[in-house]
Amino acid sequence: MTAYLLNLATLSAIFGILAVSLNVLVGYAGIFSTAHAVFFGLGAYAGAQLALLVTPDVLAASIVAALIAGAFSLCLALPALRVRGEYFVAASLGLQMLAITVFTQAQDVTGGLGGLVGIPPPTLFGLDVSSGPAFLVVCLAILALCLVGIRVLMRGSFGRSLMALRDSESAARAFGKDVARLKTLAVAVGCSLAGVAGALFAFQEAFVNVESFTLEQSILVLAMVILGGVGTLAGPLIGAVLLLLLPAGLSFLPFIPPTDIGSVQQLIYGLAMTLLMIFRPAGLAGRPVGQR
Amino acid sequence: MLIVQLLLSGIQTGLIYALTAAGFALIFGATRIFHVAHGATFALAGYAFIETAGAGLAWPLACLVSLVVAVGFGLAMDAFVYRPILRHEGSFFTIFVAAFGMVVVVQSVLELAFGRSFVSYSSPLTRAAPVLPGLYLAPVFWVAVAVTIALLGLTSLFLGRSRAGIGLRALSESPELLRAFGLSARRLSALAFALGSALVVPGAVLRAATSGLQPSIGPHVMLISLAASIVGGIGSLRGAVLAGLLLGITEALVVSVLDTQWSEAAGFVLLFGFILFRPSGLLGQPVAR
Repeated sequence: MTAYLLNLATLSAIFGILAVSLNVLVGYAGIFSTAHAVFFGLGAYAGAQLALLVTPDVLAASIVAALIAGAFSLCLALPALRVRGEYFVAASLGLQMLAITVFTQAQDVTGGLGGLVGIPPPTLFGLDVSSGPAFLVVCLAILALCLVGIRVLMRGSFGRSLMALRDSESAARAFGKDVARLKTLAVAVGCSLAGVAGALFAFQEAFVNVESFTLEQSILVLAMVILGGVGTLAGPLIGAVLLLLLPAGLSFLPFIPPTDIGSVQQLIYGLAMTLLMIFRPAGLAGRPVGQR
Repeated sequence: MLIVQLLLSGIQTGLIYALTAAGFALIFGATRIFHVAHGATFALAGYAFIETAGAGLAWPLACLVSLVVAVGFGLAMDAFVYRPILRHEGSFFTIFVAAFGMVVVVQSVLELAFGRSFVSYSSPLTRAAPVLPGLYLAPVFWVAVAVTIALLGLTSLFLGRSRAGIGLRALSESPELLRAFGLSARRLSALAFALGSALVVPGAVLRAATSGLQPSIGPHVMLISLAASIVGGIGSLRGAVLAGLLLGITEALVVSVLDTQWSEAAGFVLLFGFILFRPSGLLGQPVAR
């Protein structure tokens, strides 16, 4: 039971990082990506390969994962610079579908459908952090770092310029903001943090395969951000915890057969997304539009 | 012969895409609502057909049930999801998320009700017969061609000639002016949803009769009709049809060179390329960034 709760807590921390990183794109920069699981996946594969081939150091794996996910974030930044709104959503959907095929086919790097197995237990500066509580602490520490980092960034000139851009691109441009540089940077920051979450995920599961990086996962993360509240610091965290607790809570209800839990969970968060957009588009933690 | 065979099956898939994308383009063109739940309409229509036909109903009646379900769902989305949102806010992302939520809901309801596995409807029309040595063709191919041409012809006639059709085109140009002329934008947008959703039915029935349905067909069809309407030029009916055909044929022909895994991805490479280099699509006007 403790092991189960620890696992749940660690996953919440990891998905917290993922949701917070997507919020940089969606909430602050106004870039509505539906391909976040791709960068989560890139980070997971990078972290897993580093652990398998070189060293199972969490910090090294996170840095490599961030660099690789950050480099590939150009694939998302490019359409973000060209188009907006519906067109960008379509482009990111396209990228997501493409990436799944590449992940499945590039068997030398990703292990294909079978995935990468036997990822060694994580260490930190030579210390073994593979036990449940120790790894939870590592994940929480990285989550805290991300939160502080994002808060500092978004309070500063970078964040303010981003939000100006989100609210009116032409006005931001008229004030002499370098729109292309800002967008590219925001995408790079969000995607590399997703890469870090991916690396932690690989250590936590000791196994990665393409199933974890599908469109469904991207939508789940997007739902976390939206349910929690776009553009707030705490919102995505609340959303992540809620949506992760949901299947765990449902499995305690005796009248739902275990095979249907996945569908029931989807049904609930799909319904929640629609109802929230109708009645409270700012999300659970967000303030109604009039009071901002 | 393999190439011709693939080309023909590509055309058949492409026609189904074309009809679905035309419905999407019609709705988007008239109302500017990015109706991603269009894929859910497709899935519901397909399942309605299979379940009622499986229960022993004659196929024309089953098609009618499917039509009622599709139009009902489209109208319900307009009345209960898009209207309330547009009343207090209109940001495209709010609408997208709400519609996407419904896609997820429909998929999970179908999973709970009918299971995750493939279901299909078989009829003598779907049995492939050799036409030439090494070339197989099921009669359903000709049905698909005839139905698509007839429906698209009727739709463009309706949009071009009838009063309501002209109203729909006016709605896309200027809702304010429309109101000044005493027409109800509300009614016309319901009409767009009804028509667009109805266009899904033949595609869904043909799909059920050819390759079968799965609850996850909803998101898949959504992606395809989205891709087709962007590649074709957003809001352009003719463009969406052309692009749907193009996507279907690309998917099929890629199989002759690469693994089948890449066939779906090929469509999205096409979409990605269009967005980067020609966002206005095949037949669309240039868009402001």
